[in-house]
Amino acid sequence: MSTHSKAAEAFIADSERTAWHNRALWFVREKRDRMARSIPEWEALRDAAAHTKMHTITHLAYYLEMFERNAVANGIHVHWAKDAQEHNETVYRILSEHGARHLIKSKSMLSEECGLTPYLEERGIEAVESDLGERIMQLMHRPPSHIVLPAIHVKREEVGELFERELGTEHGNSDPTYLTHAARKHLREKFLHADAAMTGVNFAVASSGAFTVCTNEGNADMGTSFPKLHIAIMGLEKVIPDYDALALYTRLLARSATGQHSTTYTTHYKRPVEGQEIHVIIVDNGRSRILANPAHLNMLRCLRCGSCMNTCPVYRRSGGYSYSYFIPGPLGINLGMLASPKLYSGNVSACSLCMSCSNVCPVKIDLGEQIYLWRQQLDSLGLANPVKKGIVKVLNTALRNPGMFHFCVRAGRLGEKIAPRGLLYCGANAWGRDRELPKFTSRTFEQIWKEELSSTAAGSPETVPEDSSTNI
Amino acid sequence: MTSKDTILEALRANSPAPLERGPLGFTPMTFEDPLAEFRERVVKAAAARCFLLEEGRAASDAVAAIVRRTYPDAKRIASSLPEAAACATFNPDELKDPRSLAGTDIAIVRGAFGVAENGAVWIPRTFRHKALLFIPEALVILLDRTQIVCTMHEAYSREDFDTYDFGSFIAGPSKTADIEQALVIGAHGPRDVSVILL
Repeated sequence: MSTHSKAAEAFIADSERTAWHNRALWFVREKRDRMARSIPEWEALRDAAAHTKMHTITHLAYYLEMFERNAVANGIHVHWAKDAQEHNETVYRILSEHGARHLIKSKSMLSEECGLTPYLEERGIEAVESDLGERIMQLMHRPPSHIVLPAIHVKREEVGELFERELGTEHGNSDPTYLTHAARKHLREKFLHADAAMTGVNFAVASSGAFTVCTNEGNADMGTSFPKLHIAIMGLEKVIPDYDALALYTRLLARSATGQHSTTYTTHYKRPVEGQEIHVIIVDNGRSRILANPAHLNMLRCLRCGSCMNTCPVYRRSGGYSYSYFIPGPLGINLGMLASPKLYSGNVSACSLCMSCSNVCPVKIDLGEQIYLWRQQLDSLGLANPVKKGIVKVLNTALRNPGMFHFCVRAGRLGEKIAPRGLLYCGANAWGRDRELPKFTSRTFEQIWKEELSSTAAGSPETVPEDSSTNI
Repeated sequence: MTSKDTILEALRANSPAPLERGPLGFTPMTFEDPLAEFRERVVKAAAARCFLLEEGRAASDAVAAIVRRTYPDAKRIASSLPEAAACATFNPDELKDPRSLAGTDIAIVRGAFGVAENGAVWIPRTFRHKALLFIPEALVILLDRTQIVCTMHEAYSREDFDTYDFGSFIAGPSKTADIEQALVIGAHGPRDVSVILL
């Protein structure tokens, strides 16, 4: 059993909750579909967005240098970090130089990737998440279970209990409006008292040296409105050539992510205003290595919209915590394998190869196809499941040898009739754990072929009997 | 070697064959009546209010009438715009610390242009504190009704677009659906947005 299916057992034990989780995400997927259908050029837009990302990925050094040059000319400080450690050290150094102790953060998956919050807390810096979902998860001391909807797995009653305990809200009140406004009041204090703000970067526009941060809540905007210091962190793949490219991505991002025409705030930072300082940290942390991997290079196109999670039948029914990598779903399966096959190969089985993720991705990343590729590499990576490997070996021998094959079929028919259920569905039969075994047919395909089909089919393929489709 | 050099060197060494940019490959959607489309999306997609200013009346009086009618309880109204002169109670640009804007009921600001496809208004900073856009309970945006573009392509192609230092496309009030996907208006920013077309 894979690490994913083991972890998912706990989630699916509550079937009502599983169904609720599935519905909540499918609701978002349906909103995305309505948006896509309202734009006549949607598919061409995806093609252009994918192509422009590929163009950028093959010119990363060029565009990053252009971004830095223009950002510096605009008065923005630019830093480079090879890995998570250098990223965390750089953030801490900038904060220390400004004597900052209270950091207000808006959602950034890069910050999760680098483990920034625990790093800062160990050094006595308060780091408060300001996105409502992220704040709920921070108060619960749990990581986000979705990259765009961090608390999608949490029920309103649980938020009510949490806020009653942490923020002193009314007992038993779990109305989302009431709870959201309680968080608004609580976080407003944090916004006004923070001495530094951190945001992620959705898009860094090379030609202008500006960057864009997209939110619905306005938390990034509130966060950067009061402190003198704004630190923006970006994976190096966030750079795009110019505003023509930005138009493509701002049209696709919110429609794909949450089914909105645009986020409420698409905010552009180009020059620090009145006494403020902006620092941008450009982070590699393994991304330049992905560039050298032709089979998985496409992952660098990702906009982090989360649409692959919303559509994934496995994610919807198993939840974010069933995946061992911090990003779940089809995106996380792939990024986890790129980070460390040894640590995260347990996720590649969490895929039915339905390819729905590849079909909704706004930049047409072949997510499902890449998962299929990873599965084929498991054995050469020394990570194949030994039981499955054994079964394939036995099958290989049986299928190559007609005599043994026929013997197995006869034995199977006999076993089906006389073997006790406990033996057929024993632990060795992983397939039968959650499924009924299919019944053996009375005749094998070989028999049908020999007795009825071979003479007609061999001479003239167009005269295959009309009912042949029923045998497929 | 600096980290920058290490990263750039790795990117150059690992880069696949360069791919040309290529043409856009499609004609972006247009609307027969961009203003009508914009007004509809401001209300339906962005969840904001939209008003057409009455003609033949002084802008300042007309804006004040809309603001008083829509927000009868508002006391602290921030604006430095001449069109808001009849209803503004203070000039936010005179405050030194943006934190002093806490408790503002309404801010009245000017938008540069509207985007019909998503109901957003581009607001480059033309005032002292950017907090003005985010901290008030309600945001009132004044917009010239002739300044409507169809799509984001058109928005970013405007000749004067890149002249901002800080700016935001704002589509309606601050919102969240982080608790059980239930839409709640008024997460951190304004709970109410009105676009007044001049």
